[in-house]
Amino acid sequence: MAQTSSIHYEPVAEIGGGAYGTVYKARNTESGQFVALKSVRVQTDQNGLPISTVREVALLRRLEQFDHPNVVRLMDVCATQRSDQETKVTLVFEHVDQDLKTYLEKAPPAGLSQECIKDMMKQLLCGLVFLHSNCVIHRDLKPENILVTSQGQIKLADFGLARIYSLTLWYRPPEVLLQSSYASPVDVWSTGCIFAEMFRRNRCTNCVPSFPTCLSVIGLPSEEEWPSNVTLSRKTFRPVPPRPITEVVPEIDSQGVQLLLKMLTFDPFERISAVNALEHQYFKDEETATETTK
Amino acid sequence: LIMTLEDDLTTAAATGNAAAVEYLLETGAHVNGLNRFGRTALQVMMMGSLSVAQTLLKHGADPNVRDRSTGATPLHDAVRTGFVDTARLLIEFQADPNLRDNKNLRPIDIAKLGGHEEVFAFLETE
Repeated sequence: MAQTSSIHYEPVAEIGGGAYGTVYKARNTESGQFVALKSVRVQTDQNGLPISTVREVALLRRLEQFDHPNVVRLMDVCATQRSDQETKVTLVFEHVDQDLKTYLEKAPPAGLSQECIKDMMKQLLCGLVFLHSNCVIHRDLKPENILVTSQGQIKLADFGLARIYSLTLWYRPPEVLLQSSYASPVDVWSTGCIFAEMFRRNRCTNCVPSFPTCLSVIGLPSEEEWPSNVTLSRKTFRPVPPRPITEVVPEIDSQGVQLLLKMLTFDPFERISAVNALEHQYFKDEETATETTK
Repeated sequence: LIMTLEDDLTTAAATGNAAAVEYLLETGAHVNGLNRFGRTALQVMMMGSLSVAQTLLKHGADPNVRDRSTGATPLHDAVRTGFVDTARLLIEFQADPNLRDNKNLRPIDIAKLGGHEEVFAFLETE
């Protein structure tokens, strides 16, 4: 995995960071193209890089071989030894100069067209099905890490290091595995929130679809539905009946309503999967429509 | 490592956070100030963010600043990434479409090489 690279990447701005490392917007000085550099510092011993890091990088590289149109390209991996105990692993990803948040802000006051929303949702779900079929759970899907190229192509980003669950799965007890935060339904819920977000007009930057907002769509779940092993009590929330969804997202068609409700189903085991969402009638209508106009 | 206001400004611009850009400019960040990598906010902004571009340009950001390694201007990069509305805005604010980068390429050459037809068509009229 230690790969020497002759290509030179020059950081131009810091664009993210956290406990795992720092993210830079950088430029490939040869092609002029921007890239995203993600650096992670890992502890090393006489055996070299920890096996977990090697596996995570190997999985990302395997994903890359599929060249999926709806996830960002992994262009390069570099390992630099900093000292006997520390190595810096740098992942070079494709950088897209627009995210869904920016794209939605630019939408005309009348909102995005129905065709546009359908097309973007289809691409988003395609990317998600690809990740899920490779046992990668994103867990942090949001408009900021859904990228939109100037040609309108959706690319999922930030499904990176230390989020790959399949590798550490074996040692986890079933009750942890069964908890929704470790399984693919979390991503479908996020996608449902983003779906609703696309329909909302006159959006303001501060309105994020929060859990209480979603409750106003699905209504407060019953005592039976409320998970028993969580610290947050059902009594914390005001009992509200579900609002008609067309009141929250007035422009949506009936197939869209159906799909949205299936994605925002409270019980993760009842929630629609990404692959089934992609097969939903909502997307089939589009195909018939384009066929008839041909 | 000491982070300056300009580091914060370039980070806000690069992540498309127009509200933070506006706030930092009002609290004293220099619009043409360099971050620790030697770049201004307009050079590193999220090219698709029209609101960030607008905020910076209205505050006097220099649209003809060149990348210290490649000689590219923000217009070269807006074109390279295919964002015609950002390219149009830069030109409205006096970006020179005839400047050449270190490879002797003008923005229109980049549009042609990158297959960005819409941007190419727009630059032809300039």
